[in-house]
Amino acid sequence: MKDIVSSLLHRRLDFLSHEARTDALLPWVISVMMFLSCLAVAASLSVHSGLAQWSEGLESRVSIQVLSADVDENERLSEDALKMLLATPGIRSASIVASQEVLDLVSPWLGDVSNIAGLPLPTLIDVELANAGAVDLSALSIRLSAISDSIKLDNHQAWMRQLLDFATMIKWAAAGIVLLILMSTIAIVIFGCRAGLATHRVSIEIMHQLGAEDSLIAREFDQRYLMHGLKGGVAGLVLALTVLYVSASFVADLGQGMLASVAPSGQVLAALIGLPVVAAVITMLTARITVRRSLLDML
Amino acid sequence: MFSFENVGVRYGLGGEVLRDVTFDLQPGSMHFLTGSSGAGKTTLLKLLYLAHRPSRGVVNMFGQDMADVTRAELPRLRRRVGVVFQDFRLFDHLSAFENIAMPLRISGVPKAQIKTDVEELMSWVGLEDRLKAKPPTLSGGEKQRVAIARAIINKPELLLADEPTGNVDPEMAHRLMHLFVELNSLGATTVIASHDEALVEEIGAPVLRLEKGELEVLPGGKARSEPSL
Repeated sequence: MKDIVSSLLHRRLDFLSHEARTDALLPWVISVMMFLSCLAVAASLSVHSGLAQWSEGLESRVSIQVLSADVDENERLSEDALKMLLATPGIRSASIVASQEVLDLVSPWLGDVSNIAGLPLPTLIDVELANAGAVDLSALSIRLSAISDSIKLDNHQAWMRQLLDFATMIKWAAAGIVLLILMSTIAIVIFGCRAGLATHRVSIEIMHQLGAEDSLIAREFDQRYLMHGLKGGVAGLVLALTVLYVSASFVADLGQGMLASVAPSGQVLAALIGLPVVAAVITMLTARITVRRSLLDML
Repeated sequence: MFSFENVGVRYGLGGEVLRDVTFDLQPGSMHFLTGSSGAGKTTLLKLLYLAHRPSRGVVNMFGQDMADVTRAELPRLRRRVGVVFQDFRLFDHLSAFENIAMPLRISGVPKAQIKTDVEELMSWVGLEDRLKAKPPTLSGGEKQRVAIARAIINKPELLLADEPTGNVDPEMAHRLMHLFVELNSLGATTVIASHDEALVEEIGAPVLRLEKGELEVLPGGKARSEPSL
């Protein structure tokens, strides 16, 4: 770490010619890598935070379904269940969902079903808990079943688990993509460095002859590659943020839902802004190790 | 101060480029290094400027057996050697001033001191009006003087020059050779590789003559009044 800070603070000797730039394309390559990394990280963090927000809201809510063949009995059972729920400690509120709202909920799949007679739609009771663990849901389910077998408690766990599994898969996929990009970037920097060393071999020999230590020579490469990493990183980040915000504006027009979280949140933005710095440091460290190892082969 | 004893050098599995080379350089002495192309002059110079290690034999520089010197210790010793390369080896993207200043910057000399020293030396070698000129815009003689100035800016104890008059006209060659004599008189042990028999004869310093990798030491000639070997 001390060496890295020293590399940044010392004035360059500028012995590397700017004309023989074998590594001129490196910032472009790093910018593409950074762009892809940013998209992968943003997608992962956005899905993760979107699902976290969603599940947080759902953890303190349960739904009660009352589905009896007889409409009058359905209404009676719903009233009994509601009374029992409102009398249960830990339940903040409970209300029967209006039949029109239930119709609205199924309309995306079934279309307009308001005129279809005899369609067995359940009565829904929306229950808000004081907090996520305020009520023993298993006991509550048994008590509801005691009123009638037609009353079912749905705490959303089954499909919540699937969604969380999906989020985990997205997270690992993004991590895998970033790892591959990182490895590719390191390989490209190593190739660039070796090409640079070959191009500047005579200059390095002169510097050795003038009494320069390896650290002094390597520092020149450190600084050059740090700048390559920063330039490429910032360019890739700007491009990625542009794509994300443009996508977000399109998604916003489509309506709310999971896709609404495409725009980077403050936390995601902070993580993304840190990426160019990470890219620059990785580029510099890769160059440093490559150059120092190569210099050891020279006398 | 500098001694070679039964030194041999071979590259890879090839034959020996230098064989049983033995000689001493006394402090403040001046020698010419002569020999036909391929005789091993460049290899011998590389040993002297610590860019190569011998395959066998003992090389003693600055009172140290080079076999005992680690790679990390080489930069410190190299700063005590000034080298003028045949092809100058200047940094084309840097100005004459920056080229000459490089050894001082490597040694960590303060900026103000560098400015004073470099400007003074450039004036001494007649380049005071070429401070900002870059090597591609300099004549052969000017490049050679920049290379010489860079080699001596750190006040080296050993000054080596590889064909310093090879790329300049006879008049400039004459002036440059006398510049080396002057530098030598200031105390730097000097070895000049040269093909120019007339100049070698004129200066009259002892000659290290290489032929097919074997070294012969010839005493100084008529023109030099105080041969130092």
